[in-house]
Amino acid sequence: MVIEFVLDGRSKVNTYMQLVQQVRQALRVGLLESGDQLPKVRDVAQALAINPNTVLKAYRQLEMEGLAEGRPGVGTFVTGTLAGASLMHQAELRADLVGWLRRAQTAGLTADDIVALVDTTIRATLADDVIVVTHT
Amino acid sequence: MDAVLEADGLGKRYGNRWALRDCTFSLPEGQVAALVGPNGAGKSTLLHLAVGLLRPDDGSVRVLGQQPYDNVAVLPDLGFVAQDTPLYRDFTAAELVTMGGKLNRARWDASVARNRLAQLGIAPHQRVGTLSGGQRAQVALALALSKRPRLLLLDEPVASLDPLARHEFLQALMGSVAETGTTVLLSSHLLSDLERVCDHLVLLETAKVRLTGSVDDLLGTHRQLIGARHDGSAIPGVAAVIRESHTDRQSTLLVRVDGWVDETRWTSTEVGLEDLILGYLGDHRRQGSHAAWGVTA
Amino acid sequence: MIWLVWRQHRKQALFAVAGLLALAAYIIPTGLGMRSTYTDLGLPACVSSMGDGQFIPSSFTNACNETIRSFIGRYTAVANVSVLLIFLPLLVGIFWGAPLVAREVEHGTHRLVWTQGVSRRQWAMAKFGLVGAGSLIVAVVYGFGVSWWMAPLNRVGVTRFETFKFDVGGIAPVGYTVFALALGIAAGTIFRKVMPAMAAVLVVFIPVRVLVAGLARPRFATPVELAIPVDQPNPNLNAARGDWIQSMAVKSADGQTLMDNASTACNPDAADCGGMSGALNTTLYQPGDRFWWFQGIETGLYVVVAAALIWIALRGLRRIA
Repeated sequence: MVIEFVLDGRSKVNTYMQLVQQVRQALRVGLLESGDQLPKVRDVAQALAINPNTVLKAYRQLEMEGLAEGRPGVGTFVTGTLAGASLMHQAELRADLVGWLRRAQTAGLTADDIVALVDTTIRATLADDVIVVTHT
Repeated sequence: MDAVLEADGLGKRYGNRWALRDCTFSLPEGQVAALVGPNGAGKSTLLHLAVGLLRPDDGSVRVLGQQPYDNVAVLPDLGFVAQDTPLYRDFTAAELVTMGGKLNRARWDASVARNRLAQLGIAPHQRVGTLSGGQRAQVALALALSKRPRLLLLDEPVASLDPLARHEFLQALMGSVAETGTTVLLSSHLLSDLERVCDHLVLLETAKVRLTGSVDDLLGTHRQLIGARHDGSAIPGVAAVIRESHTDRQSTLLVRVDGWVDETRWTSTEVGLEDLILGYLGDHRRQGSHAAWGVTA
Repeated sequence: MIWLVWRQHRKQALFAVAGLLALAAYIIPTGLGMRSTYTDLGLPACVSSMGDGQFIPSSFTNACNETIRSFIGRYTAVANVSVLLIFLPLLVGIFWGAPLVAREVEHGTHRLVWTQGVSRRQWAMAKFGLVGAGSLIVAVVYGFGVSWWMAPLNRVGVTRFETFKFDVGGIAPVGYTVFALALGIAAGTIFRKVMPAMAAVLVVFIPVRVLVAGLARPRFATPVELAIPVDQPNPNLNAARGDWIQSMAVKSADGQTLMDNASTACNPDAADCGGMSGALNTTLYQPGDRFWWFQGIETGLYVVVAAALIWIALRGLRRIA
């Protein structure tokens, strides 16, 4: 097995989203590559004691995002990649973010204030995307 | 999707008391449904009606299109693990498997039971009475699965198990559901387990169905709203207020939505299954008790 | 189903076989011993001298009478042990009947077994049928075993009608056993708990048996009345016929009872027979050849009640969940 899923019981994120995010994360850091087989639905369901439909849903989501492909009777395989482009951009974005954080600090925001601000801003700005995701 | 289990106006009465009344829901094929409710809400009664142990006093229940009561034709499609996972304690594990074969001539796959028991490390000659609660539950599940049932009903299978045994039981259950696509109806009052395991909900309270549907639909149509104190007038986008609490300045509402809620007025957050269930159950339980105690609410 | 019933009741079956073997170990040697004593004492000749007439013939010798008395005296104690067998049907009711359904419900295993591939009626038929057949075998074996054992005593005049002998021989034990078993099963479906069901068997079975044996059985057929005028010699009924003497009384000519449980004879010297002239020594008895008729009625009675109880149990079973 290439990767093993884990669940964060305290996370507010849906179980299926946690699976999707873990695959995305593994793709980003290069742990998963195109052609790798994702764990079998049965194995994930049994290992995590979760509803197999949840696993299927996560894999369908990945297929819709063009990251994976189901081969009937065989399993689900990674087809896309998230590394590369985003990895290149990440360093640049990170530098921007560090600069912004310094400005926030000089403006007198505490760490908690910053988190709250980022949180609400993400929710307001990316709200549409989030809702699209939860409704699929 | 076809309904594997369908209840229509289903009712069961013990003497003058209705243990279950006017119960209507359907369970689509391939779903894992949670049957939730406080003790005495009628969960076991509903399951016993579904497996044909009880005869309805009102309405009907259908399993794969057939009435289950006193109907041998339905039995091969049903797997049932009753409350406290009853087994013949003086039988050995192997004898239980033999018994299953003798009693299920229509369809019985002894290899399912043997494989599972081998995985659990239970010896064939071991007496069932010497097994731990978790092992007994696993044996009962293995027996039920050996019938290769299309509908598996479980009555509080994990209620008396310790957390590890509970996890192992649910692992085994989910593994076989993934393998066989069996439809499952599982009663429980341990809400925390259900959110991961179930994709369908039947919520019973005081003998009635309080809420039923697919978990995704239910979570998609319910929100928690927090905002300035609300006067009780209709809120655009809100179909029903399930539960409300107020301070002098602020109102917290659990609502069912049917459109967009004004997010400048309300902070709208998604709710989890557990919170949703508690919201529905908590809503009118305390009504009347203040009066009964002669105090003001 | 047969496998399951055997698996669940094999211990009880072993107990039953062991019990019957113990019984056989007792009655076969003593029965054979009794038979050889019977021949050694020359009783066959005595018995044939009694003939089969209503009364003991005058040819019957006093010596024979003495031999018979000593024979009966020697084996009465042994015969009385058979009284213990009266409790056998009760044990079947308590230990086989009462737990049959009640233990399943108490342990919840009825929900396991009724949701496999067989209907609960099939289950009930197999359980009731096979355990019933087992009980029947026990009852038949010991009933006829005791009948065989008792035969020499019966031939010399110990009536088979005697309480405790009627009840443990012939086919009557079948009726009692089937009744006790059905009673236990029905009580189990009603109370759904082993202990109360066992108690119910105890509380119902014993009074029913006592009442039927004491009140109903003597009335199964109108007794025959033997009336002999007191001034005539009062002949003895032929014991070899095994008549069941129910009562004796001295009655006046118009039927008034003068003395109960007694017989009298005129003093030949007394004129007018001591004021009892015209009185009759009467004996009410059931002729010995009615034995199987009585056994049939009593067994039939219990079997019918047992059938009704099984019907109640089957009805009750439908309501258990």
